[in-house]
Amino acid sequence: MTTPVITALLDGSTIQEIAEQAWSALVGEEEVLVPLPGELPAATLSSWVGIAGPWTGSVVLTCGTDTAEQLTRALLREHAPEELDAEDVSDALGELANVVGGNVKAVLPGPAALGLPEVGTPPAAGQPADTLRVDALWRGQPLSITVQGALGPPHTPASDIEEENEVPL
Amino acid sequence: MRALVIDDSRAMRRIVGGTLEGFGYETRQAGHGQEALDVLHEGWLPEVCTIDWNMPVMDGLQFVSTVRANPAWRAVTLVMVTSESEHGQIVRALAAGAHEYVIKPFTADALRDKFALLGLLPQEAAL
Amino acid sequence: MTLTATSFDWVRQLVHRESAIVLAPGKEYLVEARLLPIAREMGLPDVGQLVDSVRSRPSPEHTRKIVEALTTNETSWFRDGDPFTALTSTVLPALLATRKPHDRLQIWSAACSSGQEPYTIAMLLEDALPNAGTRVSITATDLSRDMVERTRAGRFSQLEINRGLPAPMLVRHFTRAGSEWEVAPTLRRMVTARECNLAAPLPPMGPFDVVYLRNVLIYFDLPTKQAILRRVRALMRPDGWLFLGAAETTLGVDDSWERVVTGRSSAYRPLKGK
Repeated sequence: MTTPVITALLDGSTIQEIAEQAWSALVGEEEVLVPLPGELPAATLSSWVGIAGPWTGSVVLTCGTDTAEQLTRALLREHAPEELDAEDVSDALGELANVVGGNVKAVLPGPAALGLPEVGTPPAAGQPADTLRVDALWRGQPLSITVQGALGPPHTPASDIEEENEVPL
Repeated sequence: MRALVIDDSRAMRRIVGGTLEGFGYETRQAGHGQEALDVLHEGWLPEVCTIDWNMPVMDGLQFVSTVRANPAWRAVTLVMVTSESEHGQIVRALAAGAHEYVIKPFTADALRDKFALLGLLPQEAAL
Repeated sequence: MTLTATSFDWVRQLVHRESAIVLAPGKEYLVEARLLPIAREMGLPDVGQLVDSVRSRPSPEHTRKIVEALTTNETSWFRDGDPFTALTSTVLPALLATRKPHDRLQIWSAACSSGQEPYTIAMLLEDALPNAGTRVSITATDLSRDMVERTRAGRFSQLEINRGLPAPMLVRHFTRAGSEWEVAPTLRRMVTARECNLAAPLPPMGPFDVVYLRNVLIYFDLPTKQAILRRVRALMRPDGWLFLGAAETTLGVDDSWERVVTGRSSAYRPLKGK
């Protein structure tokens, strides 16, 4: 059996729908993600969660550092501290990745395990065919959500490749 | 009324905790299951715990099983609040002894609805 | 952002006229996001062009879609739980005592919105009656075609599922369908959804044993309230039960009903001889 690639399991509109729900519930009732591409600024922040199961990879949220700060304020609303520190921002961005990632996992074949959120430089993506990226604007600022397969084994074990080669064309 | 909010994200602890305080609860927070057990052992017994699933040290499901195994904590209502949202995961949590399940993302209204179902909404917060 | 100030203003006025809902300035992004799917459906690249198109060639169909996209809100399961508790604790035992074993129980959810109310009723009856599938029929009606279609589909978003549906009922009666949840086929078969305007003469339906007409009368003036109650009564069995919204009553509106206490809520029953 060949390990499935993400594009065979999920489409962009499902990711968009999941992200929109996360935004309207957590960021604010009328906070919307407009599915239009924008150019990310030079300084960005990424958060992600890993998924390990029949499909293995991660769900990565990337936005400008300013956007990340505004997202944190919007998420915390009246519960926000006067001064946000770096940990507030990475924690909030990580939680958004966790919420989107958990719901992406639920759409993928199971059983699968969800990792804890991480923030920093995201893991390298595997093959392009195993990557699905959605771009959106939030309050006019660009952000992206990428569902990307893990690089190399165990995602594409040798036995699968052999099996694949056996399939008559 | 007391509520213990268990989540490894401090943003989420502030959101859930703040919402429950709005309902009239006195709250405490814990960053994982073991920290939450420490609070219970200390003798601070809440009416309700809200519990994330994926956390370091001790996850939410282990916490639920541990609380359910202790007769002294039988009166504590356990509400999962997590982004784990497969049908099978919800079944597992209920089987382990969770009373209710809120899927992240959720709104304050969703928490209010669930607390109302459980009869855990003080009268003044019911509207 | 493709929406000009003029287009946004046109949308604001349209929504206000049709629904009395006010879209404050600054809601451009909301309009953009909610209307983009309609634009795409019509083969238009963006919302600006959608507005231009509908402005130059007005169409009730598209106008309605725009208004609905901007005015729908979430409804809860077990909304004001008492009328549902009363169904299984008071109403069902009374009906079973007076009906023959094979009489069909007919229930009407008269403003079903996206389907939470009729499916709440279906779940409760399936859990309470072993032969609910053949014994019960639920008619779900709404003014909005979109809502009728959504009820028929029986699919709910994660956010909708989160609103007051008890987790044990979720796992018993729903399955995952992509990013949504789908109600079990046995429940869908109990529910028939159709469009119906309560303010106009009603189609032949019923006779109903139970009617849920909640949070509808509040939108109408007194003569319309009276006309609606009269038409609903004509479709009910003489010993039927009517549930209204928590803020609604027949008192002072129509004296042909008797108010009865059902647990923590009230139901209304047709008065004999009226």
